[in-house]
Amino acid sequence: MMPAVLREPWMDIERQREAATFAMWLFIATEILFFGGVFTAYGVYRTLHSAEFLAGARETTIAYGAVNTAVLLTSSFFMAIGAKAARAGMAAVAGNSFLMTAGLGVLFLIVKGFEYRDDIARHLVPDPSFALQGDGAEIFWTFYWVTTLIHALHLLIGIGAVLRLYTRRHSETWLKESAAPEVTGLYWHFVDIVWIFLFPLLYLAGRT
Amino acid sequence: MSAAERRRLRELARGPFFAWTALCGLLIATVALAYVPLGPGNIVVSLLIATLKAAIIAFVFMGLRAASGLVRLAAVVGWVFLFFLIFLASTDFLTRT
Repeated sequence: MMPAVLREPWMDIERQREAATFAMWLFIATEILFFGGVFTAYGVYRTLHSAEFLAGARETTIAYGAVNTAVLLTSSFFMAIGAKAARAGMAAVAGNSFLMTAGLGVLFLIVKGFEYRDDIARHLVPDPSFALQGDGAEIFWTFYWVTTLIHALHLLIGIGAVLRLYTRRHSETWLKESAAPEVTGLYWHFVDIVWIFLFPLLYLAGRT
Repeated sequence: MSAAERRRLRELARGPFFAWTALCGLLIATVALAYVPLGPGNIVVSLLIATLKAAIIAFVFMGLRAASGLVRLAAVVGWVFLFFLIFLASTDFLTRT
């Protein structure tokens, strides 16, 4: 037996949905400022150490970054379908879409794992055996590790949330009425947007 | 899946599908343009394309097109304060001689 969808203090399901959507957007606003602070610091260091910073950026593997961007964009496509289908009461389509979304999220992490293995083998971790010269390159690679790891953590949380939706795919009423499919979708798409900005900053910088 | 259901799915998927096609096109464009020497223009172009991609996701996938005024306001407020952060930081670092 599924728990009732409508919770206190809301009088009706529409207002509850509106409140949940509003709250998720507010959370996303705090996330924009969190990631935005890191991106601003990136901009400052890139200005101060331009040549070394871009020499460091040239060492990222563009193929991994581009493939993973395509994987995340496609996962967002399925997430959008899943949330819409849930609302429309198309439980089977919603369930399959959630599974595709989570699966593509896992694929992203697998590709990222191979990329990390290469990066470590090429001594691109800023430690005493770091392969490149100069503070700027080291600062770039610190940004690379910190931002991609924080992004991966966000994605891992997202995969868990989408799989939770998948476990409820048999309850058409829950899928239709709960705010969870839409709100989980908002979070998932936001994590995609973070990657969309990370991609040019980490992979496209200094290619000319 | 019945014929009616398939038709509903097609209708429901049309918007997201066009958005996905546009996003993939922009991804190819941004990778290609990264290898064209534009000097300081490269970072500008790549960030403009990223912003366009984010806007497509926000309006189509995240449903901002059909959202209420309150939700739109919440969606915009983070970007406004991020602009202040970057703008005020830039007044120092971009104007040093």
